[in-house]
Amino acid sequence: MSSQGATTGLTLIGRRTGSALIYLFLLGGTVVMLFPIYMGLLNSVKTQSEMLTNILSFPADFQFSNYASAFEKIHFFRSLMNTIQIAVVGLFGIIVCASLAGYKLSRTKGKLSTFLFGLFILSMLIPFHSIMITLVKIAGDLHIQGSIYGLGIIYIGLGVSMAIFLYHGFVKSIPRDLDEAAVIDGCGEFKLFYTVIFPLLLPVTATIAILNLLWMWNDFLLPLLILTDSDRYTLLLSTNMLFGEYSNDWSNILAALVLAMLPVIIFYLFLQKYILRGIAEGAVKG
Amino acid sequence: MIFIKNRKQTIILLAFVFPAILFYSVFVLAPSMGGVWYSLTDWNGLNPAYDMVGFSNYIEAFTDDPYFLDSIWFTLKYVIFMVVLANFFAVVLAVFIESQNRSKVWFRTIFFMPNMISLIIGGFMWMFIFTKVLPYIAEHTIFHFLDQSWIGDPRVSFSTLLSLSLWSGVGYLMVIYIAALQGVPQQLKEAAAIDGANALQTFRNVTLPMIYPALTIGLFVTLNGSFKVFDAVFALTGGGPGRATQVIALNIYEEAFSMSSRYGYASAKAMILFLIVFMVTLIQLWIMKSKEVEA
Repeated sequence: MSSQGATTGLTLIGRRTGSALIYLFLLGGTVVMLFPIYMGLLNSVKTQSEMLTNILSFPADFQFSNYASAFEKIHFFRSLMNTIQIAVVGLFGIIVCASLAGYKLSRTKGKLSTFLFGLFILSMLIPFHSIMITLVKIAGDLHIQGSIYGLGIIYIGLGVSMAIFLYHGFVKSIPRDLDEAAVIDGCGEFKLFYTVIFPLLLPVTATIAILNLLWMWNDFLLPLLILTDSDRYTLLLSTNMLFGEYSNDWSNILAALVLAMLPVIIFYLFLQKYILRGIAEGAVKG
Repeated sequence: MIFIKNRKQTIILLAFVFPAILFYSVFVLAPSMGGVWYSLTDWNGLNPAYDMVGFSNYIEAFTDDPYFLDSIWFTLKYVIFMVVLANFFAVVLAVFIESQNRSKVWFRTIFFMPNMISLIIGGFMWMFIFTKVLPYIAEHTIFHFLDQSWIGDPRVSFSTLLSLSLWSGVGYLMVIYIAALQGVPQQLKEAAAIDGANALQTFRNVTLPMIYPALTIGLFVTLNGSFKVFDAVFALTGGGPGRATQVIALNIYEEAFSMSSRYGYASAKAMILFLIVFMVTLIQLWIMKSKEVEA
């Protein structure tokens, strides 16, 4: 009895030191994760000379002028509005096109339906870098190169496959009786879709919206190729341009970096629960 | 009658799918087909006229373009390191975080946060750390080994690039693994503990087999993502010093848009990238299938 008690006692001590070590490990990891963001914040409010002499210390006095000048140089509001417009066009198009297609492809049996679904899925294997050269040429031919809305429309084409895949899977969980009942009531196909079916797709629509929003917001290469005029630059493009022009003026660059990541961080902190769920679902089903 | 009903159904199907097909054809299918076509030509972007040159672009890429071959090897090395390290760290983090009580949510929030930030912005921030902060620490503290040419020395910049990619990517995989861990029934772990299994044994024999499907997803995601790496390299090293850290996607980008405008030749390289990703995916699906049969 007593020896058994001693063993349990020992494992308990072992468990406690174990979990203390795990906690320390996680704390260390937290420091590494936050270190660049913290250093960026800290030095974005220092003067260039203070930054060079005291890079680690807390700022002697806060220099918000860095932010004022970064705000100007990356044309924060203009860039932000451009990014939002692109994302809204892309998102609206992806959700409308993909929900229609995903629903009908999931409900219809037959060779044509299987073929079309397969065609969409196949494209998820194509790396963007494999099509970008011809895509730029097509954008030029269609006279949408350099246009914000043009970029949004291109995103519809690129994003629709994954969204169709997610809608296709989700529609299977909606009972067919619903469609049939509505058809008997004399509902037309499209009316049935947007009055009965689409509201039921809300959970997967939220997932699709979050995944696509993050993708378009953080996408760099496609805007770089399509948007030729700096008036139409997204937040990322403006920041990249500032970096190219003033590559040694770190206090200005850091302020710009903080400004550029601010919208995403706010978005993340408010909608964290939905974002994490969306990521897990999107990955598991994709 | 049945025929008419089928035809009506087909028309309705096409009506529903039409908008998606339209955008998809113009911006995905057409560029794919076009890419195959142009890869067989000497189109140079500036000149509207071009000639068919057969497979000579492909032959040139494999025999007469050392930078392209280097970029393939460099990308392969990057892929191997990322697949192993990112998944290892993500599983460890997921298991550790799930073992916490109150701090669970807090840790998860922090570790996922870098994934929300674009790699362009994250890359510039790390550039600041590597070129300003670490040399400063090396100079003013006992950590002299931190005084490295993190970006400029090709032997070091590979690990610099890996650090940035891990910082950004581990949180994403961690979320997948946490979701999988939450699906492991508590009773199973308790039963193992009653049978006298320690934490490590429980993990190896109970938890790991249960999260096996998530592991395949994690490997799939990192494998596909790492072959297409672009932003991290673009922001941090720009492919340099010289072309020492150039990856395939960057090599294609520079060939087409900043070096030579040889669109036809760059298209051939783009097709080679597609074939690599395609083959890797097929092999992976095949392995997954055979594993499923075993289980």
